[in-house]
Amino acid sequence: MNPPDLITILISGGIGLVAIGAVGMAVSRHLLRLVLALAIAEAGANLLLVLAGYRWDAVAPILTGATVTRPMVDPVPQALVLTAIVIGVGVQALAVALLIRVKEAYGTLDIRELKTRVEQEICGAAGIAPPESANKPGGGQPYPVPVTTSRESA
Amino acid sequence: MNALALPVVLPLLAAFLVRPAGLASGSLARWFGPLVLLLCAGMLVDTALLTHGQPVSANIGGFAPPLGIVFYADSLALLFAIAVPAFALLLWPREAMQAGGDRISALMLLLVGSGTGMALSGDLFNLYVFYELLAVASFGLVASSGSARAWAATVRYLLISGFGSVLALVGVALIYAQTGTLNLAQLSEFAPERLANPLGLAAFACLLIGFGVKAELFPVNAWVPEVYATAPKRVSALLAGVVSKLAILVVLRLILLVFDLPEARQSLLVLGLIGLVSGELAAWRARDLPRMLAFSSIGQLGLLFMAVSIPGVLGLIAALAVALHHLLMKPALFLLAERWSGGLENLAGAGRKAPLAAGLFTLFALSLLGVPPLPGFWAKLVLLLGLGQQDAVLAQAAIFGVLLMAVVEAHYLFRLVGLLYAKTAHGAPPHRMGDLAVASLLGAILVASMPLLPALAQGLGWMAHQASDVAAYRAVTLGSTIPGVAP
Repeated sequence: MNPPDLITILISGGIGLVAIGAVGMAVSRHLLRLVLALAIAEAGANLLLVLAGYRWDAVAPILTGATVTRPMVDPVPQALVLTAIVIGVGVQALAVALLIRVKEAYGTLDIRELKTRVEQEICGAAGIAPPESANKPGGGQPYPVPVTTSRESA
Repeated sequence: MNALALPVVLPLLAAFLVRPAGLASGSLARWFGPLVLLLCAGMLVDTALLTHGQPVSANIGGFAPPLGIVFYADSLALLFAIAVPAFALLLWPREAMQAGGDRISALMLLLVGSGTGMALSGDLFNLYVFYELLAVASFGLVASSGSARAWAATVRYLLISGFGSVLALVGVALIYAQTGTLNLAQLSEFAPERLANPLGLAAFACLLIGFGVKAELFPVNAWVPEVYATAPKRVSALLAGVVSKLAILVVLRLILLVFDLPEARQSLLVLGLIGLVSGELAAWRARDLPRMLAFSSIGQLGLLFMAVSIPGVLGLIAALAVALHHLLMKPALFLLAERWSGGLENLAGAGRKAPLAAGLFTLFALSLLGVPPLPGFWAKLVLLLGLGQQDAVLAQAAIFGVLLMAVVEAHYLFRLVGLLYAKTAHGAPPHRMGDLAVASLLGAILVASMPLLPALAQGLGWMAHQASDVAAYRAVTLGSTIPGVAP
């Protein structure tokens, strides 16, 4: 395989990772999965950024004192991507720390359930009746017991 | 150079010194943050006076742009840079002054340092880094109320914001791949030939959504109602009032310098209009005051995005007028909501017990609507004039949308004003003196701006002319710097 094709593959890989992350964030219901999807998308963005300055025939941009005869890879995106990785790690750590607090407080990480609970709490604090759920069983029947699949709880 | 860099560096440094200071003395830790902010605001005002609002730049670390990072301060940047520490002082959280408040102090200082940096920076990646720092500080502040619902709201805010950051990073990568630079001045040179294409537009869309998260732009504003309902009201005031304007300032700079394309402006207009309509309709349905304010803030920022989309100096004047009006208004309204956070029905008759608060609320409601002598009217008028200048069907639809939404706005605001003055008893607690004082101050500024309107309009016009002068931006950042402020 000749080099330019590899760059194309890498770029489509970067775009693909961002797309996988975006789809994951759109369809997941479990908060930890959302954080993981975010991490995947971030990896894709970082890959794209580092590819923005990559040259196949060049060496790493490290000055060793010896004269460099071959062209060097653009060092700017590499510096940027280091910063971006560090920021990403920090944000993900913060996210997971908050997830632990949320799990301790509500006992669930399902976003729909959390949304209803938070809505109820806000309405309760404001002293107004919580909104009628669209999924409320008719005829004054009680809510069914939530079914947790083994996949969701894992 | 120091006068420009220090207002960013000092709060960031101070943020990490608050805790050690707290070990030495409790009162030192309490007053440390506000004192640093006062110093920063003073330095920025001093810079503005020294330069008479003429643009200056500073090379950070002595590295010349385009390789080095450059700070650019024209009157527009300085205005927002001063607003960050000034509003942070006005809205300094009460918890930060209590024992153990040094964490909140530190977060506020981080927010101010990164916010000032966002107003001043002239480098796209540097803007991204400041934006992320600001985001992390705001996560901490939102979660600082310590309730479980605030944590859940913060997680949602963090995920949406994180997704926006990924998109912004993709936008940065696309721009770098196309142009090989991230310096805004240099980008403005390369943009016409290298970024006026589908790839450039994709980069703009990515950056717009990325920075739009904080500016409550339409598809990425799902975090707004929950966060504003659960965060401390002063933090909500700061996020809605100041932080959103900083994100808009970045979008404004991008569109002025780099992406001066009709397609980019059109997308702003459409997203702004959707934000306006959805925000105002949701506010109309809201049943408690904090969330009504949150939704109306989405609507107002939609209006602001529409103003940014208008090309030329008139659009800039409209954007500045709407932005400054909202900057005064929203923090004051959130301060009033501090004690009126119950359901709207519970506020019946609250105006009889708190005449000052109710009077202020009525004043702000009238200005938000745009009732003639108040500044809100002139802001909306300039916006409508700017939209009316264009022939496009879209602009006409936007005018119709703005007027229609003013009716919706009038309905829910007057309904609430009517409730406040209803002849029934109520149980809302009185406002704190501090909240009322700040809200009155902002109200007084609003009223005082009415007789000064001609001078104000002239000032805004001058500022808009200066901000739209791309050649000057390039000359100042890439060329020589003005002595006295330069190193």
